Amino acid sequence: MMLPADVANKPRILVIDDEVPIRRFLKTVLEEEFAISLAEGGHAGLAAAVAGKPDVILLDLGLPDLDGIDVLKRIREWSAVPVIVLSVRERESDKVAALDTGADDYLTKPFGVGELLARIRAALRRTMQQSPEPLFTSDGLMVDLALRRVTIADREIQLTPTEYDILRLLVNNAGKVLTHSQILRQIWGIAYLEQPHVLRVNISNLRRKIESDPSRPRHIITEPGVGYRLKTYD
Amino acid sequence: MKLPGSIAGYTAAILLVTVSSVVCEALRPHLNPVNMVMVYLLAVVLAATRLGLKPAILTAFLSVLAFDFLFIPPRFSFRVSDSEYLVTFFGLFVVGVVISSLVTRIKTNSDLIRQQEALTGSLYHLTRELATAIDISGITAALQRAVQRNLALRTLVLVTADDTLHEASGDSAMLTTEANDIARWVVRSGRNAGAGTAAFADNGFHYVPLTASGKVHGVLILEEQGSLLAGQQRMIEAFAGQTAMALERVALGRQAEEARVIRQKDLLERALLNSISHDLRTPLVTITGVLDSLMDESCHFDISKRKQLLATAADEAGRLNRFVGSLLDMTRLEAGALAPALAPCEVEEIIGCAISAVEQRLGTHPLQTDIGEMLPAVQADIVLMTQALVNLLDNAIKYSPESSKILITARHEADWVIIAIHDQGPGIPPGEEERIFDKFYRLMVPEQGGGTGLGLSIVKGIVDAHNGTVKACNRHGGGLTVEVHIPQAAGISPEGSNT
Repeated sequence: MMLPADVANKPRILVIDDEVPIRRFLKTVLEEEFAISLAEGGHAGLAAAVAGKPDVILLDLGLPDLDGIDVLKRIREWSAVPVIVLSVRERESDKVAALDTGADDYLTKPFGVGELLARIRAALRRTMQQSPEPLFTSDGLMVDLALRRVTIADREIQLTPTEYDILRLLVNNAGKVLTHSQILRQIWGIAYLEQPHVLRVNISNLRRKIESDPSRPRHIITEPGVGYRLKTYD
Repeated sequence: MKLPGSIAGYTAAILLVTVSSVVCEALRPHLNPVNMVMVYLLAVVLAATRLGLKPAILTAFLSVLAFDFLFIPPRFSFRVSDSEYLVTFFGLFVVGVVISSLVTRIKTNSDLIRQQEALTGSLYHLTRELATAIDISGITAALQRAVQRNLALRTLVLVTADDTLHEASGDSAMLTTEANDIARWVVRSGRNAGAGTAAFADNGFHYVPLTASGKVHGVLILEEQGSLLAGQQRMIEAFAGQTAMALERVALGRQAEEARVIRQKDLLERALLNSISHDLRTPLVTITGVLDSLMDESCHFDISKRKQLLATAADEAGRLNRFVGSLLDMTRLEAGALAPALAPCEVEEIIGCAISAVEQRLGTHPLQTDIGEMLPAVQADIVLMTQALVNLLDNAIKYSPESSKILITARHEADWVIIAIHDQGPGIPPGEEERIFDKFYRLMVPEQGGGTGLGLSIVKGIVDAHNGTVKACNRHGGGLTVEVHIPQAAGISPEGSNT
């Protein structure tokens, strides 16, 4: 499906969802800022992805013709395009499976437009970035990756090497959710996949160091049953 | 009491006449022969009352002979010179017969009455025991005791239940396969069986159906070779009848209770449907109302008014979404499909997730936390436990007055972590602390606020699935505290491991 020439400069978003009202709603809400193409099923979606080369794909996991995970797998065979999956509540395992298969983020229906735009922009930002920014700032938290220095409101924080590694991973994926297994694999290696308490305890310690109220974290957000996300306040 | 017609009776009769003769001989100088007849009359009366009809007749006959032989002139001969002594003979004879028949009749009657009394007494005793028995085993035990007391026979009582026959009381050893089959026949046919009856007469037991209102409620099996006496038979039939009525009473009671439960369930289901319908539709009223009015071109609202309307509609949409979630949670709970994925979790993290979920709804309520230091990890499903805490927080928000403080605490006690939500609302009526977690509490107690109120029962379901407990109690000075007790995760120290 070729896009009209006058929208070619806007980032392209492909929406794959079988519900007419949802496609209509997303198109209306997003077409101001983005060039929207729609597909009503898995096969149509794959074809549209090949033809249109979108910059972000919104993929509904509850498609009738093809399992959302299969669509994702096939896309990942030839493209690293950011994919945000749309799912319903109480399907944490579906979300985790999608994320571990290569989805970048997820949204739980019903979702607000604010959340949607934040995710889309975060996804686009990551693809647009040629090289990662060395300095990350967000509401008083500053992480200088070049100097390996972490400050909260200009006060330096001492982290253990593991705690720093985790924070760095989160910063490099700022705004995006990371599953437990993704973090464990990247920090500790595959052998530690069966020991989530290691991650749990480190996150807890990290929070105690960088959050003003560890029981109401503003930076490191728990996505229950899924993983963690470093929230960005820009 | 000697039986009539026995040798002993006749011997006694002879003895009586002999004694009377001796007495008369002794009194011969002083008595007229006419008066000697009285002595013999006494003998006849004595024989009639004590010895029965035949010995009495013998006594009369022998008395006449003795009297004639010994005392009527010419003495020591049987010559009847005076025909008037024939009258005497006849008189003695008739007296003897009449008195002995009367006596026999009285004795028979009094025996009968005594038997009746015994039966009535036993029946009364049994009826009293049956009246106080509350279930089948009590009833059959009473029957068994009655048979034991009055007839001293081994018994086994079987009762019917949904077309099967099973033991209720008595000697289990009596239930051979043959006995079981015969008992089943008795239930089907409603007739007696066993020794002394027309059916299965060669069997060593008696089988008596316990029938009331034409329905056989059980079978009484008695061990008695040979026929039962009429008196025993009457007694057993009476017992069987009373017992059957008691069993019938229990069966009817159970039916009535089942009907009541079904009716109650129907009422509850109807109330639940109404309530769910209301809770689903109410937010829609606002949402469609707002959207309609904003779409209506004849309505002109300024920007701030539009914002207000839309904010209200958005709130109601959120409420509707949460209610749908509760319904799904409840359905999953009912279906036993909750399946918590228990794993060690940080208490602080669970609380953080719960707070984050309700942040937007806190409104003017200041939220404080007081979480213990070095709490151990708990064995929990973070998604479910977060939902439980969210439900409790939503409750606190809903029921406590604006600007009132909501406090979340967490402390460690033995092998448990106790997370508690404290509000400054109205609390709950004393005595209802456990009932508020009942599934349909709000339906049954609408004064506590309308709506379906699934939140607390979902909390209980989730906490139960964690092998924990949830308790509610009123706070001193007003407000409610709800405590969730969660087991701590095994084997991992509060410090965890730091690699």
